[in-house]
Amino acid sequence: MEAGAIQAGAGHAHEHHGPPPANRSSRVDPALLGMLLFIISEVMVFGAFFTAYFFIRVVQSADWPAEGTELPKLIAGINTCILISSSFTLHWAEHAHKMGNRRGLQAGILTTFLLGLTFLFIQVNEYVHIGFSPQDSAQGTVFYGLTGLHGAHVFIGLTLLLFVNIRAFRGHFTAEDHRGIEVPGIYWHFVDVMWIVVYTTVYIL
Amino acid sequence: MRNPLRSEANAFRFLLYVIAVAAVVVVLALIIQAL
Repeated sequence: MEAGAIQAGAGHAHEHHGPPPANRSSRVDPALLGMLLFIISEVMVFGAFFTAYFFIRVVQSADWPAEGTELPKLIAGINTCILISSSFTLHWAEHAHKMGNRRGLQAGILTTFLLGLTFLFIQVNEYVHIGFSPQDSAQGTVFYGLTGLHGAHVFIGLTLLLFVNIRAFRGHFTAEDHRGIEVPGIYWHFVDVMWIVVYTTVYIL
Repeated sequence: MRNPLRSEANAFRFLLYVIAVAAVVVVLALIIQAL
């Protein structure tokens, strides 16, 4: 009987090996909650840059863009279409994965990554040919600040998508476990939303 | 208000709403500028 009790105790100890599970006070998945908090902080960062933009344009009533400079609306518009397309391919990839279509997931995620990379390449090319620099005027500073901040977010998104690509091609995701696609996907859609706001306010209006 | 970023599908739907709102704002602004 004593031996049985020891054996049961050993089994019990085996089940509870290591520290106790962390307390979860939220119904939201920790990875998702972390991304949501990160996105909220990012919205505040963009808000600071938009404050500078509206201060120059509305409070100081400065010309936008600065006198003698012009923003390439058409190229940026095409670039916007490329970035928005990447959200569609990402959504398609996620949908394909839920349907059990592994090839669809791989094709969608790879296309998303390449579209994002194209967007960043065109953005850098725009900087090279735009004809003004951040130190030329306050408008130039805000332009490079806002678009550069967004470009940095695209770079972060591409880094996340690179890992999603590697994992997708290695077959890490299952129909039940797809948090690794879901969380970077939310971030990528957020990056697209911010670009629509940046493009509308900086280039169009 | 429910969180629009609770899943990838909801985030994508939120993106579509933002595109629609931005399109309306741009059209209105262009109309006002033309007047």
